Amino acid sequence: MIFYKKCFFLLLLWLPGLVAFAQKSEIAGRVIEQTTGDPLPGANIILKGSSDATIANEKGEFRMQTEAGDILVVSFIGFETREIIVDRNASALTIAMKEDVNQLSEIMVTGALGIKRAARELGGGSQVVGSENLNQAKTINPLNGLTSKVAGLRINMYDSKVDPQIQITMRGTRSLNRSKNAPIYVVDGVPVPDISRINPNDIESVTVLKGANAAALYGSEGVNGALMVTTKTGNRDKGRVTFGHTTTFSNVYMLPPAQTQYGQGVNGVYNATQAESWGPAFDGSMKDFGPKLPDGTQPQALYAAPGSDNRLDLFQTGVNMQNDISFSGGDEKTTYFFSVQDAAIKGIIPEDKSRRTGARFNGSRNFGKLKTAYNINYVYFTKNTTPDGPWITAYSLPANFDFNSMKDWQNPLAIGNPNNFFTDLQKNPYHQIDNIRDESEQQNLNGKIELDYEVTPWFNAMYRLGLYNNNVQTRSTTGKFEAAGRRNVNGSVNDGTNNFRRLNGDLILNFHKDFGKFTTRLLLGQNFRADNTKASSISTSNLLLPDVFNPGTRIGELTGSSSITEYRSLAGYGEFTAGYNNYLFLTFTGRNEWVSVLSQENRSYFYPGVSASFVFNEAIPAFKDNNFLSFGKLFGSWNKTGNVTLDPYSLNNPYTQSNGFPFGNLVGFTPGLRYPNPNIQPEFVTSFEVGTQLSFFNNRLHFEGSYVFSDSKGQIFNATTSRATGYSSAVVNAGRLTNSIVELSVSGDVVRTNDLKWNVGFNFTHINNQVKELYEGLRSFNIFRQSYANIGQAYPSLQVSDYQRDPQGRVVVDAATGDPLVAADPRHLGTMVPPYQMGLNTNVNYKGFNLGAQFDWRMGGWLYSEIVPRMYTAGTEPRTAEFGREAFVYPNSVIETSPGVFTENTELKTSGGGKAFWTKQGEVQINTAAKSDFFKLRELNVSYSLPTALLAKQRFVRDATIGFVATNLFIIRHKDNKYGDPEYLYNSTDGYLSFRQVPPYRTYGFNVNVTF
Amino acid sequence: MKMKYILKLTFCLFAALNITSCSDFLDVNNNPNAPVSENLSLGAKLSAALVSSVVQETGQLNQIGAFWGGYWGTTSEGINNFIDLKTYNGPAIRHQRDGIPVWETGYANLLYYQLIREEATAEGALFYSGVAKIMQGWHFMHLVDVYNNLPFDDALQGTVHPTPRYEEGRVVYEKSINLITEGIEDIKNAPAGTEAGADDVMFTGNKTRWVKFGNTVKLRALLRQSEVGDQGYITAEIGKIQAEGSGYLGAGASALVQPGYLTTAGKLNPFWENYYRTVQNVSTANHQDIRPTAFLINTYKQRNDPRLATLYVAVGTDYKGVLFGNPNAEPEYERANTSAFKGPNENGNAPAGLFKSATQASVLMGSFESLFLQAEAAQRGWITGSAKSLYESAIQESFKYLEVNTGAFAAYNAQPLVNFDNATNKIERIIEQKWLALNSISSLEAWSDYRRLGIPALPNSLDAPSPASFPLRFMYPESERQTNNEEASRHGSDDVTQAKVWWDK
Repeated sequence: MIFYKKCFFLLLLWLPGLVAFAQKSEIAGRVIEQTTGDPLPGANIILKGSSDATIANEKGEFRMQTEAGDILVVSFIGFETREIIVDRNASALTIAMKEDVNQLSEIMVTGALGIKRAARELGGGSQVVGSENLNQAKTINPLNGLTSKVAGLRINMYDSKVDPQIQITMRGTRSLNRSKNAPIYVVDGVPVPDISRINPNDIESVTVLKGANAAALYGSEGVNGALMVTTKTGNRDKGRVTFGHTTTFSNVYMLPPAQTQYGQGVNGVYNATQAESWGPAFDGSMKDFGPKLPDGTQPQALYAAPGSDNRLDLFQTGVNMQNDISFSGGDEKTTYFFSVQDAAIKGIIPEDKSRRTGARFNGSRNFGKLKTAYNINYVYFTKNTTPDGPWITAYSLPANFDFNSMKDWQNPLAIGNPNNFFTDLQKNPYHQIDNIRDESEQQNLNGKIELDYEVTPWFNAMYRLGLYNNNVQTRSTTGKFEAAGRRNVNGSVNDGTNNFRRLNGDLILNFHKDFGKFTTRLLLGQNFRADNTKASSISTSNLLLPDVFNPGTRIGELTGSSSITEYRSLAGYGEFTAGYNNYLFLTFTGRNEWVSVLSQENRSYFYPGVSASFVFNEAIPAFKDNNFLSFGKLFGSWNKTGNVTLDPYSLNNPYTQSNGFPFGNLVGFTPGLRYPNPNIQPEFVTSFEVGTQLSFFNNRLHFEGSYVFSDSKGQIFNATTSRATGYSSAVVNAGRLTNSIVELSVSGDVVRTNDLKWNVGFNFTHINNQVKELYEGLRSFNIFRQSYANIGQAYPSLQVSDYQRDPQGRVVVDAATGDPLVAADPRHLGTMVPPYQMGLNTNVNYKGFNLGAQFDWRMGGWLYSEIVPRMYTAGTEPRTAEFGREAFVYPNSVIETSPGVFTENTELKTSGGGKAFWTKQGEVQINTAAKSDFFKLRELNVSYSLPTALLAKQRFVRDATIGFVATNLFIIRHKDNKYGDPEYLYNSTDGYLSFRQVPPYRTYGFNVNVTF
Repeated sequence: MKMKYILKLTFCLFAALNITSCSDFLDVNNNPNAPVSENLSLGAKLSAALVSSVVQETGQLNQIGAFWGGYWGTTSEGINNFIDLKTYNGPAIRHQRDGIPVWETGYANLLYYQLIREEATAEGALFYSGVAKIMQGWHFMHLVDVYNNLPFDDALQGTVHPTPRYEEGRVVYEKSINLITEGIEDIKNAPAGTEAGADDVMFTGNKTRWVKFGNTVKLRALLRQSEVGDQGYITAEIGKIQAEGSGYLGAGASALVQPGYLTTAGKLNPFWENYYRTVQNVSTANHQDIRPTAFLINTYKQRNDPRLATLYVAVGTDYKGVLFGNPNAEPEYERANTSAFKGPNENGNAPAGLFKSATQASVLMGSFESLFLQAEAAQRGWITGSAKSLYESAIQESFKYLEVNTGAFAAYNAQPLVNFDNATNKIERIIEQKWLALNSISSLEAWSDYRRLGIPALPNSLDAPSPASFPLRFMYPESERQTNNEEASRHGSDDVTQAKVWWDK
């Protein structure tokens, strides 16, 4: 880190020495298209600050008189304008131009199978996020960089471990099977299971294909849309080296609040060895704390409310550090891009850390009619964390607990030593941190080879083979600590490996022919996919020694398991596009798929689609060459997509041995409790979409709006069933969900002058999700704990236990005891997924200064916290202290004097105000539910780029930028939500806060980028 | 569909180039990781089902019964443990994650027997279908004892009845008794040589034992309804047992499950591993904090009971119990001042009463329980035989099981508080001694006997919602509320301290 900083400053010092002497000479240049290397005839070349100008000829070539340090401005319609500094030694320049993603009329997207096509042809919604926007906050996981930037795409980050978890959903929940709502990830044309390990700086762009259209070409997983990741290729002009460094710091925030009035004890009486906060009020005295130490001394602690939240002492400031370097270049036939990144995270939990080191090599070469491309990406990722113990403990420890005094647990005389810890009903969090570790080491190798041969000018054939290999080695250890009774800790070790390999091959025949004003294209493809997983583990839970972590050094028997899973599929597919006069397009798609996970009778299924687009401003004379409307397109599509979300081997009920079996030679097998269904069929999602894309005022203002309807039927899901059926769940084809979605996005340049550019964008999504049918005529269906699918309501819905209430909503108390009465039926609160999702971004650029901000705004959802009920039990929840731990008149309560007659309760007190009472209130789930509305400043980036003029005086550094980056700088939550981050989720269930997760953090830091 | 045709054609063309056969390529869906039913013998399933039954019996059910049947409380240190049982917190007990899943475990066990029964019936393996039916009867009636009305006919059929209909507890009892009768028939009809061997981890294929066990379970079920007042039904059912003729489990014939426990992690006797020591011989959390109630200790003391010394560790020279549900952490009830369970470590490495060795057999039903049941039935005049000698034999069997020298019986039996003849209320005497014998072994029976007869006069939990509210049942579990609420709510209140099980009059 310090080393890099030094290098950067040294470079700055060197700059003046590199200034060259000016001397006019003629240079030759060539302007080409970046992706293909094709020439761009007609490109405009202007010598900045003069009237000299020229135009590239049909080979893209030009000549011009320049001197070193001059700046050439190269522009071409539909492409980003580039400024090129003339190099002292350069005699020939190759200038590669990139498409301008801001001009809708010309935009190219990575469409089907990685084939570039004009956005105007597409009949489904799509949006492109470029590298700069993606990397605005320098996130380590590229998915984080997409959050709230695309209408219809919802990304939630949860569990702030050193490798935070991500859930991603496009256009609403389509499947009751909670883990099957993510879009397909396609990297350079190859579908892969995960992209979170990709270096975001390697990404050129992410094209988000929102409709199910993608499924026809990528398979059923595309039913939820596709994230098409295009990684960078080398520039076909001068070689370049970029270097980037980012350091950010993370701080925990939004812990659920805790009371600071009462300390440890039982029933109002202080107790030196009890951990729960049911003791007397803090009084500032010194009290005995825990048992006597081995030397006979009695530890004492100050029994007083702390000045600040002691729990924060358990967390540290995390540090994320990224270093990137990339080399790229190329010529007309070859391109290359090579990058290396190292991203290290020090967690907010002491000792937690992770590190990702990866390298990518992308190359291409053309041999006449044969174009070849190859990518290889290797990532080495290590992680070392402690499981959920320490912070769960912290939620239930007394407010005066001094975390800092507990760090020394090795010393037999320290109060932190597990033998001396004040209670044996909780563990010392620092002992948990030091002693219980999960390590993992992941190696990810991902690559592709692509051969594209032009057989005739109207027919080319392509073969693309992708390999995705992921190998994870894990080791979980618990150090043995011998002590009496509850203080004893058994040593354990679990060594696991998980190997996943995916081979994916596509043969694609691409025919295209024009007939007068008609253009046609036919694409025929065949795909195979083979996924192979082998996972195994060996473990022991009884290690012999405290510091030898090997299953061989154990007491008793070795335990272990191994599993092999294979999934295969084959597909044939086609796409036919007909265009008229470049403004009307019609596309038909179809795919037949054969999958290994269904029975032979059911494993083949076909699904069709059709889409159309109409660029009306070019077709209708009234709109042509209109200053107001620069581009106008209407589009629509219809798809019926088949999908199989079943895991392999789900058609039979496997038997396993448990309860100690085998005992010697005696075996004993019990069946699984998931009722298998051998006749599972594919599920089908029918969807249609209509929309429009408009650009106004010379492409200064863009608008896109669409309406989408999807209807998923006969879903394959694991239905929770009454346990009286014998089974806990059954695999069924049942259930129907519909989604009506409105997506709007607007972006525009508010100010567009040479010096000042101010761009503002806003996207809005409203999802009306409804459960239409469930399994076997049920009207309500439990999904996960408090989340339900209820007919006529959005899925998943939060349904909780509540008090009995009178018609005015006041709580009914028992006329005898004064305790609030719990209603027999649960109460439905609302959807757990916010139906309103908005993103707001702004970018201001003034003379090298740039300010970018991304706001995320979600409304209308509900959340439930499972952390808080435990805090009620432990007496740490603030409400348990609200009434002085005495019996009290339950606020806003009534007594039912006769059936249906309620009188206000002003006198009758509850049966108590201690643990027994409050534990029961913690069980009433409405007490820990809240609305999940929030408004977040998700990303902020302030940067300064050294001016071109300054850099023009030397030829070494081409670009230099320094910036401040931050995430989650502020959040506004619904006033009732004191529980945590409304974005969090648990077990694929939105709106569910779990104590297992590390609480959220915010990050801030700086970033330096230099291009040579 | 022309498109489809073209696609298929194209596909097969390419497929031919790529792989030899589509079908072979896709035929990879046979689970290589676990066997399915067809791979396994009935024996491999029966052994696991029996062990699973006894795990529920000696773990979950015994624990509930031990707290609610007057045997157990906790130390002052463990004041916050088992809080839901101490406060009769029904909603917490039925909680899906943190609750006590008697229903879920019970129906899972029932499923294991259901699949064995279906397969055995199809194959004509009568011994196995008979055992499965008897054990299903056992589990169904246990579930009724805890939850009252529940599904019987509609149960255990996967997706055929996704929301199984509940039947009255009385009907479930009746059907369960019939099922056991059928099971007994099956076993008796099983041809010699078709019995299970070592797979039958309870009776190693001993048909007579199984029949006697079936009869004893039926007797238990009939005694349970002693207060209901349907004597005609009881007499008829007793008549069937007598007509069958094999009788009941007698002295020396306990229903013990012994799969071959080993002194290695995960293969210890589960009762030992939960309530006494881990495989590393460390005292468990339960052993640290579970203590006999003062009421239990006193009941033994009043009778100078020699079992006290084999069950518990003395504090000084005395035995000290705790108060169930005590909300205050008083020093006199701390770990060090109260009597923990005794095991070999506190007994000169000799077997103690409940904890003999890490590989001891698990008790599904002790011979002493069977003898006490017979004594009560004889006393009620339902069966022939001397209630007194059955009663004495039961106590002797208890002594034997709890490692008390049988020589001590005569002096013990001579005491007025023990002697059968001295008792004015013979039923009370039988149930008192039954309560002392089943302590921590079949504790659920103690809770049921208390609900049925109010014997012995147990002190209430000090943390009870009100002094008069005793626990009468479990609420239907949250999982059932979530998946079968219409049925669950059709059966009225399921309040823990107000709604009664059908035989509780």
